[in-house]
Amino acid sequence: MFAERAPWGHRALFKVSRCPYGTSSAQSPSTAILGYFWGESFSGTFGMATARISAYLPPDIDPTKAALAFGRRALPKLKEELQCPELLTQQRALMALCDLLHDPEKAYEAVALGFLDSLKTLLVHQDQTVRQKTTEALSVMALHSVGREGLIRSGVISALAGLLDDPVDICRKNTHQVFNMLAKLPEGAGGVLRAGLIPPLVLKLKTELDEIQELILDTLSNCLRVEVSEALAAGALTVLKEKLSHPSAAIRNKAAWVLLEISSHAEGKVAVCEEGAIPALVRLLEDTEPEVQVNSAGALMFAIVTPQGRTSAMAAEAIPPLLALVAEETSKARLNAIKALTLLAELPEGRSTLLEHRDTFQRCLHDPSEAVQRAAEIAIAVIDWKPFCSRDLS
Amino acid sequence: MVPARAPELTAPADLPYSFCSQPRSLSSRPKYRKQSNAAETEKVPLHRCNIMIDPRVVRGNVLCVRHPPESTEPSTREVKRQRRAQKQGLARKLTQEQIRTGTPEPVEGRQHVSVQTELYLEEISDRVIEVDGECQTDEFLDRPPTPLFIPAKTGKDVATQIEEGELFDFDIEVKPILEVLVGKTVEQALLEVMEEEELAQLWSHQRAFAELRNAEFAELQRLEEQDRRIREEKERRRLEHLEKLHKQKETAEKIAARAFAQRYLADLIPSVFNNLHDSGFFYDPIERDIETEFLPWLMSEVEETLQKKVLGRMMLDSLIRTVVEKRLDEFSHPPPPDQTETPAEEPRTTDAAPQVSDEADAADQPVEEEETDQPVEEEETDQPVDEE
Repeated sequence: MFAERAPWGHRALFKVSRCPYGTSSAQSPSTAILGYFWGESFSGTFGMATARISAYLPPDIDPTKAALAFGRRALPKLKEELQCPELLTQQRALMALCDLLHDPEKAYEAVALGFLDSLKTLLVHQDQTVRQKTTEALSVMALHSVGREGLIRSGVISALAGLLDDPVDICRKNTHQVFNMLAKLPEGAGGVLRAGLIPPLVLKLKTELDEIQELILDTLSNCLRVEVSEALAAGALTVLKEKLSHPSAAIRNKAAWVLLEISSHAEGKVAVCEEGAIPALVRLLEDTEPEVQVNSAGALMFAIVTPQGRTSAMAAEAIPPLLALVAEETSKARLNAIKALTLLAELPEGRSTLLEHRDTFQRCLHDPSEAVQRAAEIAIAVIDWKPFCSRDLS
Repeated sequence: MVPARAPELTAPADLPYSFCSQPRSLSSRPKYRKQSNAAETEKVPLHRCNIMIDPRVVRGNVLCVRHPPESTEPSTREVKRQRRAQKQGLARKLTQEQIRTGTPEPVEGRQHVSVQTELYLEEISDRVIEVDGECQTDEFLDRPPTPLFIPAKTGKDVATQIEEGELFDFDIEVKPILEVLVGKTVEQALLEVMEEEELAQLWSHQRAFAELRNAEFAELQRLEEQDRRIREEKERRRLEHLEKLHKQKETAEKIAARAFAQRYLADLIPSVFNNLHDSGFFYDPIERDIETEFLPWLMSEVEETLQKKVLGRMMLDSLIRTVVEKRLDEFSHPPPPDQTETPAEEPRTTDAAPQVSDEADAADQPVEEEETDQPVEEEETDQPVDEE
């Protein structure tokens, strides 16, 4: 009898409130069933149980959720309710759906039943609760692998593109979460790119809230790993350069990550140099947050591959902060800093400076991380390299 | 139940009556008359007697002395009741006698009086109040519907009250329930937290991998860049070298060409001058002057002189001609003298050029023949041509 109220299928007998007992930051207002249980079999006086079962519904069962059918019928019934013209039914069905979709089996079933098409039609509903819950359901779906594949196949991405300008914050946030999740897959990133979402996302970076900006930056970093030209055309670099000096550490971190991804492409490197982002990145190397240091060192490591990049890095005096990062034993940015210094050591001025600090690299040879050891070996080899005559070139 | 009477009562008393029949069990007659339903009449009419309740069956201990039931008087229920009542009366009497002996003898001067002590007094008399009553059975009724079977209440009524703490100890009993509740709650919460933690772990794992990959990728790009630089450098040097060779070759060719040209053109000037000299560019002005002016004048003077001569000769020729014609005329009519032909030959030999004499011969011959004007013209035209 309890099972019909249970949201997570077979696992939970009792519906649990997300507020007092769970620690996650979810939004669904379902309440605890504890009170229900107490009011049920214990009539007022403790120690005195009656065998009679109350005919009244428990006092604090969630009225905002649709009643779930038993077992296999749950999802098909919800699907019918979703298409019902009455608003309240739709809302209740959506709330129940959001809870159900956390279960991977239910998510698979939902995709197989074609829920994604129904949710797609609901995305353009006038009522904001419906839209909010639909986007939440889609974001929960995107947490599962089958969900992601289903989302890509059913073309939900282009449908979600229309919600980028939604007046309700939470709808936009959920939309961006969906994009974020999808972009972590290569096919998903391809889908986002094909839907032409990069220019709008870059535009949104300038105007959106901080939380959503973080999501956008994540999405961009994953998409730009694949292709960069659209973003560069949309003027992403100016926006990112601004974000590098944002007060929030998370945004700085993610902006540096996006710059890293941009400069891993050839045209991106050129653009980064021209934009003059390298001095900004060098400044970030001395940031207080270790994550920001890691990402800015990584962005530098890619951006100074080109000769212009190297010269501008030398002009910005990148070597001392990078050396500081390498010397710190516990820094996560060691690997990236060593790589960046390797690149700078190929310049004659860089090599002369780094010859004096050779022992820093020697110490890194005994680092616990294998990648750092390899990088240190390569760095030492590059520093010790002496020019030879042209006969050896052939 | 009225058993079927044996027919012995109706038989005459003189003969000993005997009757025998095959033993058969009697069917029990239903208490009520048969319903009008035809279906029920079709049922098996024979309801065998249940021997457990058949009064004719001897029950009980088979070893005790049992008087056979009186066959004349059928043992009805009334008779049984009478016998039971008798037994009960005996028993009561015994108990009453026992109770009675308990009362002590009255004290002197007193006597026992039986008094009613109940709340409501009752008149006791020997004569029992009798009321006549009669009853008459109704006509046979239809079978009433079977009443709902409510078994008679048997046994004693007992009440009980469970005080607090008697049934169970709440604190002990609630433990498993609480454990389930709280456990499920916590489990649910843990599941939710784990879901997010799992995701966070996955992302951090991915990040770590991404870092390594980026490092490797950067290394790759660095090596590519290095390779590109070296290749470009090589290419540039190769091109320079080619350029150098090319220039060298060109220079050698140039030198060779220069040497050759020098040699070739060494006697250019002399040859040029020779050619020019040959073609008359360098001239002696006096010579030229002589050539250009003097000689033409000379020639023209000579020509004039010659023309004059020619003219004189032509005049002479024409004179000769006219003379000859005249003589011809004269000779044609009269026989001509031979003297005119020989003076004609003599002026001919005095001519300067033998050509002229040939021409004159040629001219004379046709003149001699027929025409006169044309040969004269031919002579005049031919002569200037020959002289030049």
